[in-house]
Amino acid sequence: MRAKRSAAVGLALAAGIGLAACGTSNVSSTGTGSSSAKGPIVEGAVIAYTGTNAFEGGVTDSGVYPAMYEINKAGGILGHQLNIETVDTRGDPADALPAAQKLLATTSNLVGITGAGTTSGPTLIPLFNSNKMVVMSSAGEARYDRSAYQYFWRLVPPDPANGEAMALWAQKHGFTRIAAVFGTDSGSQGDLPGVLQGISKIHAKLVANVSLTPDQPSYRPEVEQVLAAHPQVIMTESDGATAATFFGEMKQLGQLVPIYGTQGTVTNSWLNPVRGAIGASNFQKYYTAIVGGTPKPSPALQAFVQGVKAESSKVPSPASQWFGNPYAQAFYDGVIVQALAMQAAKSTSPSVYNNYIMKVTAPGPGKEKVYTFAQGKAALAAGKQIQYMGASGPVLFDKYHNSFGNEAAESLSANGTPTVLGIITERAIEKLG
Amino acid sequence: MGAFTYYISTLVVYFGIDLLSAWSLNLQYGYAGVINFSFIIFQAIGAYIASTVVLGPDTGINAYQTYLFGANLPWPVPLILAALAGAALSAVIGVFALRRIRRDYQAAVMLIVSLIALQVVSADVHLFNGSNGLTGIPKPLEGALNVSLASYQWIYAAFVLAICAVVYVIVQKLCRSSWGRSLRAIRDQEDAAISIGLNPTLLRLEVFILGGAIAGLSGGLLVEFIGAWSPGAWGYAETFVIFTAVLVGGVGNNRGVILGIFLVPILFLELPRFLPAFGYPGLIDAIEWMVIGALWMLGLLVRPRGLIPERRFVAVRGGSGAIAFDGAAPGFFGRLLMVGRGDGVPMRRRAATVAQPAPPADKATAGSASERTELS
Amino acid sequence: MHLFVQSLGFGVVTASIIAIGAMGFTLQFGLTNVLNLSFGSLMTVGGFVAYLAESAGINVWIGLVLGGLAGAASTLIIGKTIFKVYARRGTRLFEMVMVTLALALIIEYAVDAISRDQIYQLTFPQGTTFNVGAISITAAQLAIVIIGIGIFIALEVMLKMTRLGKALRAMAVDPSLARSCGIPTDRIINTTWLVSGFLCGVAGVVFVINALSVDSYTGTLFLPSVLAAAILGGVGSPGGALVASLVLGVVTELVAAAGGSAYSTVAAFGVLVVVLLSRPSGVLTAASRKVELTV
Repeated sequence: MRAKRSAAVGLALAAGIGLAACGTSNVSSTGTGSSSAKGPIVEGAVIAYTGTNAFEGGVTDSGVYPAMYEINKAGGILGHQLNIETVDTRGDPADALPAAQKLLATTSNLVGITGAGTTSGPTLIPLFNSNKMVVMSSAGEARYDRSAYQYFWRLVPPDPANGEAMALWAQKHGFTRIAAVFGTDSGSQGDLPGVLQGISKIHAKLVANVSLTPDQPSYRPEVEQVLAAHPQVIMTESDGATAATFFGEMKQLGQLVPIYGTQGTVTNSWLNPVRGAIGASNFQKYYTAIVGGTPKPSPALQAFVQGVKAESSKVPSPASQWFGNPYAQAFYDGVIVQALAMQAAKSTSPSVYNNYIMKVTAPGPGKEKVYTFAQGKAALAAGKQIQYMGASGPVLFDKYHNSFGNEAAESLSANGTPTVLGIITERAIEKLG
Repeated sequence: MGAFTYYISTLVVYFGIDLLSAWSLNLQYGYAGVINFSFIIFQAIGAYIASTVVLGPDTGINAYQTYLFGANLPWPVPLILAALAGAALSAVIGVFALRRIRRDYQAAVMLIVSLIALQVVSADVHLFNGSNGLTGIPKPLEGALNVSLASYQWIYAAFVLAICAVVYVIVQKLCRSSWGRSLRAIRDQEDAAISIGLNPTLLRLEVFILGGAIAGLSGGLLVEFIGAWSPGAWGYAETFVIFTAVLVGGVGNNRGVILGIFLVPILFLELPRFLPAFGYPGLIDAIEWMVIGALWMLGLLVRPRGLIPERRFVAVRGGSGAIAFDGAAPGFFGRLLMVGRGDGVPMRRRAATVAQPAPPADKATAGSASERTELS
Repeated sequence: MHLFVQSLGFGVVTASIIAIGAMGFTLQFGLTNVLNLSFGSLMTVGGFVAYLAESAGINVWIGLVLGGLAGAASTLIIGKTIFKVYARRGTRLFEMVMVTLALALIIEYAVDAISRDQIYQLTFPQGTTFNVGAISITAAQLAIVIIGIGIFIALEVMLKMTRLGKALRAMAVDPSLARSCGIPTDRIINTTWLVSGFLCGVAGVVFVINALSVDSYTGTLFLPSVLAAAILGGVGSPGGALVASLVLGVVTELVAAAGGSAYSTVAAFGVLVVVLLSRPSGVLTAASRKVELTV
C-alpha cells in the first residue's frame, strides 16, 4: 500500500515536470517597432478574469496592454519587446496559488507582475516576494499601507481612501444624513468599510446601511427602508444589474436623491444599466463618481488614451470607458514605471531594477520630468535623472512602496467622458484620518 | 527548475487534500450509499474555523474583515477544531437529511443545503466576511521552522501526506470492521439489513459525521497552506470534481480513488494551464466543467464501480447452512469466510463476470441471497 | 407594518414564479420518478430564449411562449434520450439523481460558454404601477401572477377532466397496471415531458421578466425554491405546489423585509426542514413505497 501511494505521488511529480516541457504561454504582443534580436520579456497580469471578481481582469487589461503598446512602440526595454501573459486567479486563492506558481515556473523571461488583487493578493504577494519578483499590486487592503515586502509596490490608493473622499465631498455639500447601499459582492464589501469610516469621521449621520444580495428579482424592501430614512445622499457600490433594479425601483416608489458612486461604479457594466433604469437626465443630475487619481490632461494621459485605442481589441469594449478609469491608469503607470526602472538599471532582472523604481519616480532637483516611456528612455540614454509623471498624476511612493494620490469627483456623460467637478486632495484625506 | 519546486509542492499538497476529500466521500457514498451533494460545505466550514481561531479576536476596528469565533489558538488545535466543526455540521445536517426518505430526496436536500449555504455565507459579512472571505491566515509554525518558503512548502506537503497515511489506515480498518460490513449491508440490502437488527439511519448518520470530520480536516489543512478562504473556493460544483474522481477511480475502493484523484483534479484540471489561451476568459473553465459532467455521466453509464472496482467480500454458506450476509450482526462473523483479501484470489475478474450492479435497492426485490452465493 | 403588508404583495409575485416552476417539476417527478436536478439549468435556457427574443425585437408574450417551447423541446429530448438510456441500463433512482445533476452541470456551463460568462440586462417595460392599499405592484408583476393562476387552472382541468389527465393519474399510481389496461404509456410520458418542460421554460422567462437580468447561474439559484415547493406540496400535486409556493414566497419576502435578505432563501428552506421532520406521513413514506423509473 505504501509503495502504491508513493508511486502515485511520484507519478504526480513526473507529470508535473513533464508538463513543463510542453509548457506554452498565453502570450500576446504587438509587433510594432520590433527591431532587436533579443528575445521578448514578459509582464504577468495575475488577476481574476472569471468568477465574482471578473471585473478586475478587464480593468487590468485596460492598463497593461496600452503600456505594452507604448513601450514596444518606443523600441522596447533594453532591446527586448514586452509581452503580456494573463493568468486567471478566478478570484479564488486556492486556484490563484498553483496558477501563479506555474507562471513563475514556466516563464523564465518574466520580469514583473501586475495584479494580485483583493482576494488572492494576500496569498500571492508573499510568493512573488520570496521569488524576488516585482509586483505592482491592486490589492486595496489597508494592511498593505505598511507593507514590509521589498518587491511589493502599490499604485492604487487603499480602499478606505476612496470612501473617505466620498464623505468629504458630502461634507462640502452640507449633507449630514447619509445612506450606504452596498452589494454583498466582494468588490463592494471591500469599499464599504472606508465609506463607513469616512461618514463617522465627518460626524455625519448614517441613516441607513443596506446590503443588497445580488441577483434578486426585487429590492423593494431595501428601497422602502432607504426611503423611510430620508437620506440626503446615497453612497453606493454593487454590480450593475443589482444597482439598476434598486435605483429603478427607488424611482418607481419614491424620490431619487444624489447618488455618490465609489470608483468601483465607474465601468460601463454599472453606468449603463443604472442610466437605463433611472433615465439619462436623472442620471446626469443625481450621480457623482468619486475616483482616485488626478485626471488632468497631460502628455501621459494622452499616451495612455492612445494606447487604449491602439489595443482596443484587447480591452473590454467600448474602449472609451477606460480613458478616465483610475485603476486602468494606475496599472498603465505601474508597467511604465517598471520599464523605466529597467532602463535606468540597464537590467531586466527584477532583483536589480527593483532598486531603481524609486529613482525614476521620486521628485528631485535637476530631475527631468518625463510623461511617456519614450521620453524617459531618451532622457536616461542622455545620462539624465528622471521623474515619471504618470497618466494618473505624479507617482510618489512612500517608504512602504505605496502611492496614494488625490481623489476627484466627476460626473459622467453618456459615452463615459468624465467632467471633473472637484478635487479631494491626498492632504485632506490624510488630515481626516 | 528552481521555480518549479513551488508549483510541484503545491500540487502535492492539493493531491493529499483531495485524497482526504475523496476518502471521505467514498466512505459515505461508496460504502454507505449516502449521496453527499453538499460535501464541499464540510470542507469549507473546516477551513473557516481553522482560520478564525488563529486570526485573533475580531476587533472590528481595522474592519477589513469580520468573522465569528475569533481566537488565538496554538497549532495544531485549529486542525482538530476544523475536524470537529466538519463533524458537528454533518451531525446537524445529517439529522434531518438522512431520515428514512428516498435516497434521491436525500441527495436533493443536500444539494439545496450546498446552494443555500454558499448564498448565505457570501451575503452575510458577519459570518466569515462575505464574498471577500478571510485572508492573512498565518502559516502554522512558520516562525518556529524558520526556513525558506520553498522548503516550507515541501515540509507541509510531507505533513499532509503523513496525515493522509494515518487517515487511510483508519478508514481501511473501519471499512473492514464489522461496522464497515454493516454499512455495505444497508447500502445493498437495506430491508434485509433491518431484519437482522441494523439501524440504517443511525449507521448513515455515523458515516456522515465521520466523513464530515475528514472533510473538515482537509479544509483546515488547505486553508493553513494557502492562507485565505472565500466562497470562490467552494462553489457547489467543486463537490463533483471529487465525486467524479471517486467514480473514475472506483466506488468503494480506497486505493482506486487515489488513481481517480490523480487523474481528475490533478492531471485533468492542471493540464489546461499549459494550453495556449483561446476564446474569452472563462471558456476553458466552462469546458472543463462540462467535461467533468460528461465524465461523471459516462462513469455512471459504463462503469458504475469505477476503473478499479470495490473488492467483493463474499459470504458463503456457513456451517449451519444458513445464508449469511457479509454485513450481518456480530453473531454471524464467525461463519463468514472472507476471500479476495490480498490473498491473490482474482476476485476482481470473477466479480466482473457477474452482472455489475447489485439489484436495485430501491426496488428492494427479493433474491439477494442468491446473488451472493452465486459468487462463491 | 406598512413594510410587512407591502412584502405580502411581493410574496405573491415571488410565489407565482416559484409555483410555475414547481407545478412543472411536480408533474414531471410525480409521473416519471426522475428527480430532475437539471430543471434549474433548463429554466436558465428559457430565460436566455426570452433575452434573445427581446433583443430581436420580438413581443414579450411571444418570447414567453418561445421560452416555454425551448423548455419543452429540450426536456423531451433529454427525457427520450439520456434518461431513457440510463433507465434501460438499470440505473437506480438514486443514481438517476446523479445523472440529472451531471446534466445540470453540463447545461449550466454550456450556457455559460455560449453566453461568454456575462450577465445580460433586459428592458421589458414594467408597465404602470397599481397601488392597492400599501401594496404596489407593476403591470408586469400582475401579469406574472395571472399567468401562474392560469397555468394552475389549466393543469387542474387537464388532470381532473380529460381522458389524458385520467390516464396520467393512473400511470402515476401504477405504471404497469396502466399499461396492461391499454393506456398508451409512451404517449403519456411524452406529454408529461412536453408539458413539464414548457412550464420549466415559462418559469425561466417570468423570472427574467421580473428580475430583468439573466446569466448562466440564474436558474440554478432558483432551483432550491422550486424543489422545496414541489417536495413540500406533495409529489404530483399542482395544487399542493401552488399552496407550498405561496407559503415559501410569503415567508421569503417577510424575512427579507425584516432585514435579512441574505436569509430569505434559508427561511424557505427552514419551512422544508420543518415539514421533513414533522410530516412523516407525507414525503417520508416514499421510502417504503415501491417506486420505479418511468421514462
